[in-house]
Amino acid sequence: MSAARLEAFLAKIYVDESSRERFLADPRGEATKAGLSEREIEALEKIDRAGLILTARSLQKKRQRMTGKRH
Amino acid sequence: MWRQWLRRLWIVVKFKSAGKISIRDRVGLGWRRELAVGILSHLDRIDVVEVIADDFFDAPRDERRALRTLAAQTPVVLHGVSLGLASAVPVDKKLLEKTARLCEEVSPEYWSEHLAFVRGGSIEIGHLTAPPRTDATIEGAAANLERARAVVGEAPLVENIATLIDPPGSDYDEITWINKIIGSSPSDLLLDLHNLHANATNFGFDAREFLKRLPAERIAAAHLAGGKWVEALGERRLLDDHLHDVPDPVYQLLAELAALVTHPLTVILERDGGYPPIEILLRQLDRAREALAAGRSRQNERMEKEAA
Repeated sequence: MSAARLEAFLAKIYVDESSRERFLADPRGEATKAGLSEREIEALEKIDRAGLILTARSLQKKRQRMTGKRH
Repeated sequence: MWRQWLRRLWIVVKFKSAGKISIRDRVGLGWRRELAVGILSHLDRIDVVEVIADDFFDAPRDERRALRTLAAQTPVVLHGVSLGLASAVPVDKKLLEKTARLCEEVSPEYWSEHLAFVRGGSIEIGHLTAPPRTDATIEGAAANLERARAVVGEAPLVENIATLIDPPGSDYDEITWINKIIGSSPSDLLLDLHNLHANATNFGFDAREFLKRLPAERIAAAHLAGGKWVEALGERRLLDDHLHDVPDPVYQLLAELAALVTHPLTVILERDGGYPPIEILLRQLDRAREALAAGRSRQNERMEKEAA
C-alpha cells in the first residue's frame, strides 16, 4: 500500500540522520528505492527543507526528554 | 452519541429560557507529576484535570488507585498520545485495549487523541507527526476512529496537531483535511488553539478564518499552550513546545471560539516543563476564563440583535 510506504519513508527521514542526509543529497533516488509512486517522489523532491530539519531536530529533543523521564 | 444528544438538549433548554444566556464553560490543567501538589491544593480554582492516558497504561496498582481517587474528587479527562490514529495503517489493537481498560477504571468524562501518525514501518517516531493530508489518511483516520470507538466504547475527541513541516505528499490543506475526517467519523474535535496559531503563523493562513470554517457544533474542547521560535536555513518557525506561557493571540482565538460555539466548552492548559510557580498557571486559567467570558458576551450581543 503506497500510503503506508510513504508514512514509513517519512518516519525514516524524520528519525534517522543518515537516511535524512542520503535523502537530501538524492531525493529522487532514495524515494524511488523506497518504492514510492511518481507523484509522491515529485512531492518529496519539493520538500520544505527547513521544515524537515526543524522537525527532525524537534523530534530528537522530544525523544531525549522522554528518555530522560524514564531514568 | 450521548454527548451530542446532551448538547442538543442543552441548546433547546437554553433557547427556551428567558433573558441572557449563561454558558458554564470549564477551565482546567494538564496533570503532571511536577504539578501534583499545586493542583491538589488548588482544586477550587481548577474545574477539570486532563491526565495523559499513556502514563498510566502500565503504571503500578497504587498509581492507578491514586488516579481513581483523583477522578472521584474532581472531573478527569484522559488524553492519549501514542495511538497514531491519522494513518493509513490500522491502529495497534493492544494500545486500544489498554486505553479501554484505563477508561473503564477511571470513567473519564471523555477521552481524546491526536490527528497524527507516530510510527511508520518499523520505526517509532517518538512523537506526534503530521501525516500527508490525503484521501488515504482521511479514510485511515475514519477507520481507526471507528476501531477506537468499538474497542473503548466511546469515540475519542480528536486534536489538531502543530507541525513544523507542511506534510509532504499532501493533497489537501489542513482545514479541508480535518473537516473531511470529522465529517466521516464519530469523533468531535478537541481544538488546540496554540497548534492552530503556530500552523497559521508558520504556513501563512488566517487562524480566525480557519476557526470559522470548522463545524462549531463539533468542537467540544480546547487546548491552550505556549511555544518558542526556532530557526533553520534562515527560516523562522513557531514551535509548540508546551514549555512557555500562553501568548496573547491564543487567548484572542479562545474568545473567538467562545463567540462561535453555542455549547459549554472544556478548556485545558498544557504545560510539559519549565514549570513556573502554580500561581502563574492559575492566573493563565483566569485569563482563559476572561477570554471565554468576552467571547460569550459577544455571542449574547449577536443573539440579542438577531432576536430584536
